[in-house]
Amino acid sequence: MREKVLTEHFGLENLYKIDVYQKQGGYRATEKALEKMKPEDILEQVKKANLRGRGGAGFPAGVKWSFVPPTDKPKYLCVNADEGEPGTFKDRYIMSHNPHMLIEGIIITSFCVGINSAYIYIRGEYEAIALRLEQAISEAYGKGFLGKNILESGFDLDVFVHRGAGAYICGEETALLESLEGKRGNPRLKPPFPASVGLWQCPTVINNVETISNISHIILNGAEWFVKQGLPKDGGTRIFGVSGMVKNPGIYELPLGTRLKDIIFKHAGGMKEGKKLKAVIPGGMSAPILTADEISIKMDFDSLVEVNSMLGSAAIIVIDDKTSILDVLKVVTKFYSHESCGQCTPCRIGNSWINKIVKRIAEGEGKKEDIDSILRLASNIEGNTLCPLGDAAAMPILSITKKFRKELESHL
Amino acid sequence: MTKILINNEPLEAEEGTTVLKAAQRAGIHIPHLCYHAAFPPEGSCRMCLVEIEGFPQLEMACSTVVKEDMKISTNSERVVEARKAVLEFLLAEHPLDCPICDKAGDCKLQDYYDEYGLFESQFKETKEKREKKLKIGKTLILDQERCILCTRCVRFLKEVTETQVLGVFHRGVHSSVNIYDGAAVVDNYTGNLAEICPVGAITDEDFRFKIRSWFLKEGESICPLCSRGCNIMIEYHPGFPRFEVPKRVYRIKARENPEVNGFWICDRGRYGYSYLGEGRADQIILNKIEGENVLTWENISEFLGEKIKSLSSAKKASGIALILHAWLSNEELFLLHKIFKDDLKVEKIFFADLPQGEADGYLLTSEPNPNRRGAQEIGFDIKTVDLGALADGTDFLLVFGPFLSGLFSLKDLEDALDKIKRKVLFSSYSNEMNSLFDIVVPVALIAEKEGSLTNVDGIVQSFQPALEPPGESVPEWKALSDLGRELGTDSKFFEKFRSPEKILSEMGKRIPFFKKRND
Repeated sequence: MREKVLTEHFGLENLYKIDVYQKQGGYRATEKALEKMKPEDILEQVKKANLRGRGGAGFPAGVKWSFVPPTDKPKYLCVNADEGEPGTFKDRYIMSHNPHMLIEGIIITSFCVGINSAYIYIRGEYEAIALRLEQAISEAYGKGFLGKNILESGFDLDVFVHRGAGAYICGEETALLESLEGKRGNPRLKPPFPASVGLWQCPTVINNVETISNISHIILNGAEWFVKQGLPKDGGTRIFGVSGMVKNPGIYELPLGTRLKDIIFKHAGGMKEGKKLKAVIPGGMSAPILTADEISIKMDFDSLVEVNSMLGSAAIIVIDDKTSILDVLKVVTKFYSHESCGQCTPCRIGNSWINKIVKRIAEGEGKKEDIDSILRLASNIEGNTLCPLGDAAAMPILSITKKFRKELESHL
Repeated sequence: MTKILINNEPLEAEEGTTVLKAAQRAGIHIPHLCYHAAFPPEGSCRMCLVEIEGFPQLEMACSTVVKEDMKISTNSERVVEARKAVLEFLLAEHPLDCPICDKAGDCKLQDYYDEYGLFESQFKETKEKREKKLKIGKTLILDQERCILCTRCVRFLKEVTETQVLGVFHRGVHSSVNIYDGAAVVDNYTGNLAEICPVGAITDEDFRFKIRSWFLKEGESICPLCSRGCNIMIEYHPGFPRFEVPKRVYRIKARENPEVNGFWICDRGRYGYSYLGEGRADQIILNKIEGENVLTWENISEFLGEKIKSLSSAKKASGIALILHAWLSNEELFLLHKIFKDDLKVEKIFFADLPQGEADGYLLTSEPNPNRRGAQEIGFDIKTVDLGALADGTDFLLVFGPFLSGLFSLKDLEDALDKIKRKVLFSSYSNEMNSLFDIVVPVALIAEKEGSLTNVDGIVQSFQPALEPPGESVPEWKALSDLGRELGTDSKFFEKFRSPEKILSEMGKRIPFFKKRND
């Protein structure tokens, strides 16, 4: 029987306090890692666990860590807690319910890679959560899990919480670094990748909150156990955030590979009274949309790629039959037009142009060539931008327009 | 070297270089807007996308480093379509006010549209409204609507002047380059911004609306306004039959030279071009000369030669005085040294130059005379003019350059020169002092002649005439080479010097400094 891993103790009162957390076995992973394991053993375990990034791209965390070159420079860990992908709200639950699980992950990751300074880059709107994190960090310092010579291992680590100022683009890892350095959050050209040239030009590991939160569990229970919680190539559980027209919106920690249909109809209680399913966005707003007859799909990285969509941040947005797809497209295009940083041409102008067309259609001024224009412009954005935001915008626009073309044409 | 294939042509590229640079070296142009060789790649305009075998997406030529056996296409259908798409995006929000844009004819957006675009506009929406005429510096006007956000200007002010007064404000389609509150572009390098702007977003009031750029001709030269010797391009109007436009220099631009000025020039060099036109002497003037035949350029050396030859050897050494300046070319100073110092043993040789100025810490040097280093290397002991010593026992005075009038009052000059029987001035300018001389010979400026200058760091740079000298003006080297032959002191020697190039090569044989610099 598979179990809950990350959300296991979420219901427990005052779990965010270190004493309560420790009573549940908290910080035992840290002790094990620092006292009994070598950094290379930890890396080996994380690699074997096939822990793939939970931010959206699904890149194997252990492989990412191993890209950090040997260096005399300081190395940094940045935990991406920007959680900007529309529909996504899993990291806020982890951080507010169980901040010490994240801190433990940070300690073990830093010990593994040889990092002495870690940053949690948290979206500005999460003010209360940022305060909770700071409180938890200060508790961890108090118990000697952070600071100098942690558990007499000779390992030092400081953790800082940095609040963003409200930009979707700052969830893109290199824009996050720019923002953290105090600059305008524009993405950087890659290569070089952050693992070699990151924060303040130093090697930097950037991982999502949920990714890092899995680390202590891998250390305590082992890579094999972790893989069993998910799929062979895709270890662990996944926290699915379900929103939209379902009876019970919320987060659901389930094994990777759970069918979308089951998530919506079993776990989230099915559609709200009187609503019929029309479409699902399966992995945050950037993920290409699925129609109602595509929901028997398994929710894991590879299965979603097969249907030309993506698991992304595993945020499931459920759309009902009363919702106009034109409204969906309007929201989507407005968002990306608003959030494009403006640095590169196709994203800056393409998204605004498409949004202008969609708005015009919504105002009753649509022309028959508009649908083809949207498809052409989105295709010209896709693959041609400096950072993934361009693709993140083009993918949903293209899929919505293609799959719901008839409905969109009815507005012309 | 790295072996690559561009458009199926095998090429050897420098290791670690980018696709764009490798292509450029091979004469293959890859269009680009944000990339500028002075800065690290920015990758934002997306014009330089190329197709590389094995890469799923198009890659940026400006930032992709070449790898062994890389197969690159710069003109495949996919690449051309992507360029078209980028242009379509750029032009969608562009005001297309080319008829009233100063950059028209000189604009990369126009050129690329001509090359890759030529599509019908599909943009039916309302364009964003922005500031059209923001004054951002001494003479700079920013038009945010024309701006394509390549951020070359922002990066220039960040990386070159380090003043950082421009930035990108807002985001998405509302992104605009703007100036920070209360700031202005006021350094000595402002003009470079208008020059590096690939479109008409930053224009220069010094040039704006004065002439359409396609009427201009250009000529390469060296800036003489300090001792840096920045490489420049002089843009001038040669007189066009159908338009009533003054025939003059309209603009100076920087010419790349990594050893001297990189990609830039200072505002003093850029805007100080009035010296090329204003107050010029363009005719040979004869004052107080009676009974002499009319002098022309052809016989002036003969005339001077005869006057000098009529003096005894001792009188040549003590009775001739020479005032020079460090705006003369290496070749001219070398001939002067040979004729007057080596052969005639003239004792009184002075320099009348511009006084020392202030360096700006970057290109502009404190030495405002372009060839002082050259004069020193040729062997002149640079002494400023002492009017008492100058006039004492002098029968024949030869003055080069206009700067004597800046050092003394006209009255003092008149008193001193009164004591000298024969006085000849070689100058490009007519000023009050000219009336004190018997003969005034108009001469060409550096922009109008051939020669070389030695800059403050000892770099010898040759130049060719970019402009026609006005009226009867001639280059000094020609007059001096004729004079040398006329005097006959070393006729074999002077016979060789029919061009500055030959003089410089002779200098290399005689002066070690010029040998190594000339190799």
